[in-house]
Amino acid sequence: MRPVLCASATMCENRTVAGIDAQTLGERIRDARKRADLSQEDLGRAVGLERTVVNKIEGGVRKVTALELSDIAAAIGVRMSTFFEEPVPALVAHRSSQGLDTTDSQIDALLAKLANEIEFVASLDVDELGLDAADAVPQAGITQPLTNAEAEALAVKARDLMALSAEEPICQLSDSVASIGLLAFSHDVSKDTADAGTILLRRGGVSLVNSHMKVGRRRLALAHELGHYLIADAYTVDWRVADHSDHAVPMESRLDRFARALLLPNAAVTRQWNEKVARSGERSAAILLASEFRVDMATLATRLKELGLADSETVTSVRKYRTTQADIVEMNLYVPLEELKGTTVPRPFARAVLRLVRDERISRERALDLLQGTFDEADLPHIRERRPDEIWDFVS
Amino acid sequence: MTVPDDAWVFDTGPLRHFAIQGWLGVLRFLAGERPVYIPDSVARELDDAAEHMSAARAVLDAGWIHVHRSTSRDFSEAFAHYVDRLVGGGKNLGECGVLAMGQIYKCKVVIDDATPRQIAKEKGIQVTATVPLLCEAIRAKKLTTVMVEELADNLLEGQYYLPFRPGGFRQHVLENGLLDYDEL
Repeated sequence: MRPVLCASATMCENRTVAGIDAQTLGERIRDARKRADLSQEDLGRAVGLERTVVNKIEGGVRKVTALELSDIAAAIGVRMSTFFEEPVPALVAHRSSQGLDTTDSQIDALLAKLANEIEFVASLDVDELGLDAADAVPQAGITQPLTNAEAEALAVKARDLMALSAEEPICQLSDSVASIGLLAFSHDVSKDTADAGTILLRRGGVSLVNSHMKVGRRRLALAHELGHYLIADAYTVDWRVADHSDHAVPMESRLDRFARALLLPNAAVTRQWNEKVARSGERSAAILLASEFRVDMATLATRLKELGLADSETVTSVRKYRTTQADIVEMNLYVPLEELKGTTVPRPFARAVLRLVRDERISRERALDLLQGTFDEADLPHIRERRPDEIWDFVS
Repeated sequence: MTVPDDAWVFDTGPLRHFAIQGWLGVLRFLAGERPVYIPDSVARELDDAAEHMSAARAVLDAGWIHVHRSTSRDFSEAFAHYVDRLVGGGKNLGECGVLAMGQIYKCKVVIDDATPRQIAKEKGIQVTATVPLLCEAIRAKKLTTVMVEELADNLLEGQYYLPFRPGGFRQHVLENGLLDYDEL
């Protein structure tokens, strides 16, 4: 329990808050506490208040000081400002459909936090964030793909929007999706939760990829999330990308197809598969293609099957192939830095945070927080030299 | 009771340094009739600091320094905005209370750290810092230039940004007209 105030200091009177505000605030605290799966007793213990006091705060009966409120927010694991701001519409709709008593999954909670962080940075009008690029998406006239052919066509359109040629491998998918306003973060949320999720923001979107998966699966999951973003799904959490049955969840299955088509474009894969098989055999062809397009063998196998490039025996074999160290040396494979490994933040977001630090609009501590631990204090830019005229800022 | 707009509201850093040097009396003299406040967030930081630096306790024990806390929605909302700008890893809560008071009560805040000062300027909050207060103390013959030079150098050794290098206080205040030769 923290000491609230020094008893010997003179205390001034509290200002009051209108009843309706205290009520609304109390309700927001209660909702956030429940989503964090905390009891009133848990919260009270964390902030040094009796359970009955927490109950009164949530009921709008007991007013709460700003400092107490910041303690409550910290204990719940949300930013204090979330008590005063309307969440993005996608979150509001999702939460109202889930009901108040639902506890957020880890990925839901992280997604909501990231959405808030992006909206906060966006509120400071930092050009580097680049969410203006999202405006191209609604203008592209995209509709939900109802057939596999439409999923393939959507992949072609997505490449066009991201200024990628029809056949080139997508080296850094997270950079490409950012170019149309989808900011992709990764975090190892453990294997027992969803693969990825996406929330539409007021402008742009945010995706979170569970980096517990290997790189090929992470990229496939992000490609799938891009599909949700393009068709303007407001809130999505995907548990098993690429395992969707066409019968049970046709739209998810279409987006799985879209994801594979995006990463492994039809024309390029068809031509290269045939050439490489003829030259070096199926195993080498599979390893070279998977390496070049940065997909896992399961994705490549499914793609070869759906494009009619391999019979079922070959598809089964491809699924089992593993790239060895010898393959990397003998085939002279390029091994890039792994995308979306561990905790990562999208480049435009990091750039925007660094701009805010340089301009001294946020503290260095807050910047490290926003950067999700991907930066150390020493990685942040040094405080800029003051211009001579700014010296006058230091005198009254 | 609200906070008067002629009040001075102090951040933890400047107060801690005045307290360590044993100069709180000087500060009281400089404040004159103006009331001096700290938000409860600064009181907490000083309370934490007092565990390993007993001088900080003197601030909390000073009856003329009022601790302010507020349940006003406007105040909490302003506080929350500054938390968004400044707080990471549980640090900088004190400044959030100071800036919220400056915004809501239109009083002058005393902050030394560059970022919250910049934010205060952006929000139209009156802001001053340790250096001008020290100059005022010299001008009022409450502190000598030698004493202040030493403190200024100590501040520079820590995390403080001051617009001069160690040993440069005297030259800086002269060059910028903060003090005249006969005041040094």
